[in-house]
Amino acid sequence: MPMPSSRAPHLRERHRSSADAAGGVVPPTLRRASPLCLELPGHPVATLALAAAGAGLLTWLAAGRSKRAGPASQGGRQALPDRGRSYGSRGAEVTASAAQRLNHASSMLAASVLFDSGLEHYRGQFFNRAMYTPIVVSSITLASSLHGAGDTDPGSSRVRHAAQALAGLTGLVGFGFHAWNVGKREGGYSFQNLFYAAPIGAPMALTLAGILGVVAERVRDADPDAPELAGLPAGKVLALATAGMLLGTTAEAGLLHFRGAFQNPAMLLPVTLPPLGAAALALAATRAPGASQTEAKAAMWAVSAMGIIGVAFHAYGVARMMGGWGNWRQNLIDGPPLPAPPSFSGVALGGLAALELLERHRSRF
Amino acid sequence: MRLSGTGTAADNPSRGTPADDPMHRPRAVDGRAPDVMRRGEWVPMRQFRDEEEVDFVIVGTGAGGGTLACRLAEHGFTVAALDAGPYWRPLEDFASDEMHQSKLYWTDERIVDGENPLQMGSNNSGKSVGGSTVHYAMVALRFRPEWFKSRTLLGYGADWPLDWREMWSYYDQVEDDLKISGPVTYPWGPKRPRYRYRAHELNAAAKVLARGAEAMGIDWTPTPLATVSAPRGDSPPCVYRGFCTVGCSTNAKQSVLVTYLPRALAAGAEIRDLAMVGRIETKDGRATGVHYFRDGRWRFQRARNVVVAGYAIETPRLLLMSANREFPDGLANSSGLVGKNLIVQGNQAVWGDFEEEIRSYKGPPSLAVTEHWNYEDRGKDFHGGYCYMSQGPLPTLWGSTQAGAHGLWGEALVSEMQRYNHVAGLKIVSEYLAQERNRVTLSDETDQYGLPIPRITYSWCDNDKALNRHGLDFMGQALAAAGGRNIWEQGDDTNHLYGTARMGHDSKTSVVNGDCRSWDIPNLWVCDGSVFPTTGGVNPSLTIQAIALRTADRIRAMARGGDRRDA
Repeated sequence: MPMPSSRAPHLRERHRSSADAAGGVVPPTLRRASPLCLELPGHPVATLALAAAGAGLLTWLAAGRSKRAGPASQGGRQALPDRGRSYGSRGAEVTASAAQRLNHASSMLAASVLFDSGLEHYRGQFFNRAMYTPIVVSSITLASSLHGAGDTDPGSSRVRHAAQALAGLTGLVGFGFHAWNVGKREGGYSFQNLFYAAPIGAPMALTLAGILGVVAERVRDADPDAPELAGLPAGKVLALATAGMLLGTTAEAGLLHFRGAFQNPAMLLPVTLPPLGAAALALAATRAPGASQTEAKAAMWAVSAMGIIGVAFHAYGVARMMGGWGNWRQNLIDGPPLPAPPSFSGVALGGLAALELLERHRSRF
Repeated sequence: MRLSGTGTAADNPSRGTPADDPMHRPRAVDGRAPDVMRRGEWVPMRQFRDEEEVDFVIVGTGAGGGTLACRLAEHGFTVAALDAGPYWRPLEDFASDEMHQSKLYWTDERIVDGENPLQMGSNNSGKSVGGSTVHYAMVALRFRPEWFKSRTLLGYGADWPLDWREMWSYYDQVEDDLKISGPVTYPWGPKRPRYRYRAHELNAAAKVLARGAEAMGIDWTPTPLATVSAPRGDSPPCVYRGFCTVGCSTNAKQSVLVTYLPRALAAGAEIRDLAMVGRIETKDGRATGVHYFRDGRWRFQRARNVVVAGYAIETPRLLLMSANREFPDGLANSSGLVGKNLIVQGNQAVWGDFEEEIRSYKGPPSLAVTEHWNYEDRGKDFHGGYCYMSQGPLPTLWGSTQAGAHGLWGEALVSEMQRYNHVAGLKIVSEYLAQERNRVTLSDETDQYGLPIPRITYSWCDNDKALNRHGLDFMGQALAAAGGRNIWEQGDDTNHLYGTARMGHDSKTSVVNGDCRSWDIPNLWVCDGSVFPTTGGVNPSLTIQAIALRTADRIRAMARGGDRRDA
């Protein structure tokens, strides 16, 4: 045993020395504040919310300005883009409508990520500075997607395109961070760590938002009579892609509901309905262009509704935590996350856009 | 649906009954018992008159008695279960205060002696409806199959009159009844069904065990625990308050008090709190009922069968106290083994401190476990096995450990307590051998009920000491490998009680048979840890509960066989 006194922390001395090092003017409580940090009054979360809202607003304004910088103008709104091609108006309506739908999907996903990552990273006390990133990026994505959703013009926006690409990239980086967080723990990539470390699939929702947002812009740009993505028919590609996204989101929900031992039978819904929806989408992609997609559309609407109803189920889950809603400040954080289920709705809206593109050919027959 | 803040008495403790004092006035009276899941609410309870001959009177409502009462009542028998302890309402009665919560322990006077006198009164006893499951650490481990044939297969101890496959099916039922939260796959032993709930998140102390085990090249796993990791009925998921061993105030802990006893009440059993049984009456070689003290007077409950489930001190004490002209050496004691072969389990620990903060008291105390030395027979210079777990001592316990086992005082003690948040330890649960010299007898002194105080004699044998050495050495190496410094050994602690009414194949060498029925008195049963002839290297509660479920099923089978009078 060494002398106990030698092991006692010397807090007072440590504070004094750090103050001395800073010229004796920095009070001990501020010594960890980075020079980039503005000392704003109010709760840090409020500050973060303000920053996120500000970033969103800037994105909105920037996207609008770029549009107005375009060639023709009709009362501040851009007309059909003049790029040496003339599009049939019916086709343009469909692509614009599908693009809006995709922006709705992207908005939904971005909003889900904004609130979910905000909640979960607040729970993690923003232990790592990088944990602020998804909040700011998803705000930008949300603003960009909302902007696109309100834009009935077929032309794309470079700012929105860039914002969505940024979101896609950020989600991938986040996935890397989360995977690293899981793997570094005792036991490595075990169920235990997949349950309780950073949720490995969550950042991918931001990537999905970004992909759908990028696709929205590409669809706006595409030939309305035969829209293509990466050289393939847009409807088919998008249907298969959203089917894959549904399966990925199912995997994430399945993992976390498995952690909850499927203690409520309703927890089985998000691991059964979305795969059926994905199958319907895949089936839709194999059908002749222009065929009616009523069943697949119904499946997508069902998955969308499930995502919204999921919020109510999660609210009930919060009520079943110790202290229920009376203890909301703890239980919103530790209970089932309210903002998570709508990510299903987001992907399903993407599926609806795909179905719209698949059906659009009806007008040609 | 349970929504807090919607305005029943559940959210207003001030609406509680005036002068409601569970330690001095019984709560389970007037045809109702406390609803342990809801503040201030009650559940209806069937009540029997003392003159009414119930099918079963059960002495004790812990892991053995409470579980058995539930299953017997669900099988359609009339059951009155008596407990000396209070009927707690965990949501209202449990404070976040170690000293106050010592009210859960059986702290009646006992005399301890022998070469290694036992510390009684905390981790090996409980005086509550629900027994010591109200304050147990919830560790829910199964026996290694070979332990049921320990003598034949491993060369020490005794063979149980139970088949491991049958026991494993009962383990499965208990794990379902308690919704044990355990790992997705268990590293040792035969394949077992998946635990019903997922394991809890590891705290830093559990991660220390994990790092140590990985460094030593052995398996580890999150501990299967009887506290839920997701909602279950009125039980919210565990909030990692960390006061498990002094009473869970949220009801996440799946103690007998909140699981089997509400079911027992619903099935028509009566539970009598603050009812101390002092004597079992016999006539013509059969038990006829019990004398018990409640509400300030001695009363007599008639019964067709008597089950003793008071744990390994109170069970032999009651059997010995009930000696009469017919059975001058005490009931069920023709073998002379009642009170003998008291076995405990080793509970030594190694402690060390760490650079980083550990805060081991966060969450259930034993979140990680390794059973390596239960399933590995090579490299041992002793009989038996052990597991070890991470630990989370609360501050008062830690202070008394430092002052007692570590022998610190004054400035040294204060300074060590300042390291509290940086301490992690590994604690063993080990298998000691049965010895007839370790025993429970009656002394001449009497307690507050006028009953003779038990004398508890305990000494280690050489095998026990060799096991202690092996365990402490291995855990010390593991702790050092995990980064622990200033490692010291706590060498004196023991826990869990067994063996004083052992079961066996033969009336000469055991007190009860495999059905927990006494060899001497056909309508007298023992159903608790006392019946274990060997202990294995795991905590006992799950096995006691599995035995209780099996006993109830056997009783029903025998009753269906037409021998209703006997069962």
